[in-house]
Amino acid sequence: MREGARPEDAGAWSRAGFLRAALAGGAVVSGGAVLGAGRRDAGARAAAPPHRDAEVLNLFLTLEYVQQAFYEQAVRSGGLDGPLREFAATVAGQEAQHAAMLRERLGRRANPRPKSDAGEAVRSPEAFRSTAVDLEEAVIAAFVGEGANLSRATIVPVTTLISVEARQAAWIRDLAGVSPAPRAADPARKPDAVLDELRTKGLLA
Amino acid sequence: MTRPTLASVDSDEALTEAVATLCGWTRAELLRGAALGGAAMVAALAAPSEAAAAQLDDTAILNFGLRFERLQSTFYTEAEQLGTVATMGDRKAGWARTLGAHERAHVRIIKSVLGRKAEGPPKFDFGGDTESPDSFTRTAVAMEDLTVALLTGALPLVKDKGITAAFFGLLTVEARHAAWARHIVGASPAPAAFDTPRTIHSVQGAIDRTHFVAREPRTVSRGQRPRFTG
Repeated sequence: MREGARPEDAGAWSRAGFLRAALAGGAVVSGGAVLGAGRRDAGARAAAPPHRDAEVLNLFLTLEYVQQAFYEQAVRSGGLDGPLREFAATVAGQEAQHAAMLRERLGRRANPRPKSDAGEAVRSPEAFRSTAVDLEEAVIAAFVGEGANLSRATIVPVTTLISVEARQAAWIRDLAGVSPAPRAADPARKPDAVLDELRTKGLLA
Repeated sequence: MTRPTLASVDSDEALTEAVATLCGWTRAELLRGAALGGAAMVAALAAPSEAAAAQLDDTAILNFGLRFERLQSTFYTEAEQLGTVATMGDRKAGWARTLGAHERAHVRIIKSVLGRKAEGPPKFDFGGDTESPDSFTRTAVAMEDLTVALLTGALPLVKDKGITAAFFGLLTVEARHAAWARHIVGASPAPAAFDTPRTIHSVQGAIDRTHFVAREPRTVSRGQRPRFTG
């Protein structure tokens, strides 16, 4: 069997396709500075890599807080049972551990926990499933987009957390009856787009 | 079958644990639970030493990634060609075909990045692991968890930012594969809050012990004759 001889794969990833993806990654990388520029704390923008790390880690921390709150609220609501409840309870605990690790690394620079109210999103199993799928996808896209901006020392623990986020996404997608791995490579999204989506859904105040 | 499978030969924790669930090794699973807070976190928080990182340039890392993706893509493709996948029922067959398509795409992605620096394909021999649904599935589960361990370990060593960003998009897909595989066999898709990274050396050791790589690329040594080639 020759590599790439499969018709269903043809054209999915040409060299140009990869270059586009690499460029998109690069655009997000360079666009990372914009994230800092929008912040009130302008001093952090021009600072040394630890401060750049802190910006990215704080973004990730916010995403973990949002997820933790959503899953905890879903478990408390009592509307889930069986595999969905097991998923929510397991993931709530994992997001709490993720947040704790990021908070510890950030120390005094850690942003406070944001307010969030999932509201209708935890009222029914269907709404929960759909929101959880969207939430996990948004989080993965933000991690893929910003992960490369971290310094080498910081990237190590964060990498072992991102893979677990992807496991969670596959898990809930399988429970929701959609393909757990819909693409050969996950795309990046800019932080602002992801945070806006979470605000629209009421998951982030 | 006298030859050990990938699922049975690895003595290091990550892979054994992945398989423990499938084989009902509850003690191993318990040990895993006990170790999570300790070993996994310690490993996760330990930055690779600069000395170790300096020995591997991006080309070497990409070539190892290429070799591993070829191992996977050949494994899934062979199981499809032998008809093993077709016997597994819609849900499992869909899973196996998707993973095969993704791994073939990953091979092309990494090859295109390496260009002329890409190594040639080794010859693989899976020793029957692609022939029965049970051994195929168990090996696939172990292989996907091993891929996650490899990428979480190797990704931080990549120096080029664009390649690092692209690797993140591959890592998350491999982690989806691993979770999907585990869910299919009734194991927890996300058994810990953090994955445990492994070094390339450690992953190479695990692969060596399976004897899946029957012949290295561009060598004249004659090993066991493989039935399929990558």
